[in-house]
Amino acid sequence: MSCRVTQPGSSVLHRMDPRFRLVGLFVLIFAFSFVSDFRLLAAMLAFTLILFFLSGLPARFILQKLKLPSLIILVLVLVLPFVSGQNILLDLGFISLKQEGLYASGLIAARFLCIITTVMIVLHTAPLLTHVQAMRAMGLPWIMADMALLVGRYLEVLGSDLKRMHTAMRLRGLNSSRPGLYVLRTRAWLCGSLLVRGLERADWVYRAMRLRGYGHSRAATSQFRATALDMAGLAAALMAAGTVMGLEIWLGL
Amino acid sequence: MNLQPSSALEAEKVSFAYPDNGGALHDINLTIIRGEKVGIIGPNGAGKTTFFLLACGILRPVFGKIRLFQKPVTGREFNPKAALVFQRPDDQLFCPTVREDVAFGPQNMGLESKEVEKRTWKALHDVDAASLAERPVHHLSEGEKKMVSIATALAMQPGLIIYDEPSAALDIRTRRRLINLMPGSAETIMVASHDLELVLEVCTRVILMDQGRIITQGDPARIMGDAELMQAHGQEKPHSLIPHYFQHQH
Amino acid sequence: MHIPDGILPLPVTLGGYAACAAAVFFCLHRINMRPDPQADIPKAALLTAAFFAASLIHIPIPPASVHLMLSGLLGVLLGFFAIPAILIGLFFQAAMFGHGGLTTLGINGVIIGFPAMAAHYMFRLGTLGQQGPKQTAAFAFLAGSLAIMLSVLLFSLLLVTAVPADLGAAVEKTAIVMIIAAHVPLALIEGAITAMIATFLLRVSPRVLHGV
Repeated sequence: MSCRVTQPGSSVLHRMDPRFRLVGLFVLIFAFSFVSDFRLLAAMLAFTLILFFLSGLPARFILQKLKLPSLIILVLVLVLPFVSGQNILLDLGFISLKQEGLYASGLIAARFLCIITTVMIVLHTAPLLTHVQAMRAMGLPWIMADMALLVGRYLEVLGSDLKRMHTAMRLRGLNSSRPGLYVLRTRAWLCGSLLVRGLERADWVYRAMRLRGYGHSRAATSQFRATALDMAGLAAALMAAGTVMGLEIWLGL
Repeated sequence: MNLQPSSALEAEKVSFAYPDNGGALHDINLTIIRGEKVGIIGPNGAGKTTFFLLACGILRPVFGKIRLFQKPVTGREFNPKAALVFQRPDDQLFCPTVREDVAFGPQNMGLESKEVEKRTWKALHDVDAASLAERPVHHLSEGEKKMVSIATALAMQPGLIIYDEPSAALDIRTRRRLINLMPGSAETIMVASHDLELVLEVCTRVILMDQGRIITQGDPARIMGDAELMQAHGQEKPHSLIPHYFQHQH
Repeated sequence: MHIPDGILPLPVTLGGYAACAAAVFFCLHRINMRPDPQADIPKAALLTAAFFAASLIHIPIPPASVHLMLSGLLGVLLGFFAIPAILIGLFFQAAMFGHGGLTTLGINGVIIGFPAMAAHYMFRLGTLGQQGPKQTAAFAFLAGSLAIMLSVLLFSLLLVTAVPADLGAAVEKTAIVMIIAAHVPLALIEGAITAMIATFLLRVSPRVLHGV
């Protein structure tokens, strides 16, 4: 019986072994972060677009994720053209638009877009915890793997606990008049309550785990099976990354 | 107390108290014979859950001895012969997907992967949750979670299953499924519940606990039919034991 | 306080991963030395999940609202589990919301995690022996605000010096000072909230305050 978890979608990317997919992703995004030549930037953007089509994900999915670009990126992109560089493109009196700064903005924006689009595409082909299991299969220390799986499992539970407590507070007048430290204190109590609940629940979870033999056997059953296609996919990613970095170095000489 | 060759659980002079002095148990003496379906009733704080945790080796008694299937409970080993189904399924289901959660116990029993798979699917089918196998646990309804948490116990094929408030927060339909499932789920079962009708339907013996002690035990209808006794210990006579003078219109 | 992808050069991001890996290795080693490390994992994990959920609480500070980081408190409560917890949180954030950065996971782990550990030591040493409400509140305030200020310092230094643009020393200095100054109110608010949470925990459940 195959133990693969599937998300809606049956593209090549969806069917890849999660371990190979993750390694390929990391290699690619690091390669992207290395690029600074504008020709390679264009190639990178084209590659990202191709990857997007290969993934079979709907366009609005990516656009939704990109709706709120990082504030820091925004600030940099807007500010750098005016504070960095010597060659002035446009003199506006007390500030001037500089070529190097503009180029740096474009560089950052392009790299950022390509990287997070690639990350979003690849990571959304499987549930989050599948990626954690893939990392565990590749040697992530058991403490971190077990922790990550539990965090993933209980995030929503605690999130709903929080919502309920917040609603209870609001029903008793949380958002009405009293200003200042009161506002901080009620949020502090909300946080504190959540932490207390989290720890109490942890006691029970640990009991449940022990009752079913947690720690009794370290037999990590590998649920992933790689095929030739997976290796080919990884090889393709490695080649693309290698080519990009090689070209970057060569063009920079 | 003599060792009973067919006993599932024996508690001999068991006493316990938490470090903050809450939830104490005093001098609990009790034997559950294999094949029995025993109900434990009593108000909140009577010590039912505490006793279950002692029986499974999660807590160690301050005084006294506990034996599971004639072997002393030390708490240091993993004993899949006894399974405990918690009141809150979210405390019990800690894996990303249903299938992994149900498979967790058998995997730790050192079984071969084919056997693990077999037991997992059997348990899921027994609770009618096979279609939920690949779902993340937090996407399930309360009733589905409860069924899955029972499946996690069934997969270990224990000799004794202990149910702690199993029908809490269940809708009527799921409660009925639970009642139908429980008697056959293991050779011996123990149920702690405020749902007295469930206890009446499922159990062949009832133990009344209050303030950390066993008050009395015996036939469910006799004990739960004693209105004065029940009220004295924060309970009520179950509706079905109350004589009906006005017949229902059919 | 997270540096997004695309800004930092490869040596810095790889260096961040290396520094984090070393830190994690050290922390896991210390955790493994405990008599029963497995017993602490659910506690650490559930607290991490609680912190993650809590970071979504926003405090209405007109005209906007602020999201809490609580990295100081996280360090205080989680101890050696803090850096693993932060890395897990950062990965989940990047995967779930696209927020934060995956190439910069390591460096963000350093920016948030190392100050969290500093906060941990500061709080534990400060409240050694004296665990009354006043000491708890005072050192929790310091832990909370210190963690933020150290993170802001690391963040601004890295961002300003490693950005792929030539800024000139004067511009760099100004930028760093501006970023730090802008975060002082946030640090004070986080300090105040950390102190209030710590006081709450001391009253309601001191066990939580003792940490994992």
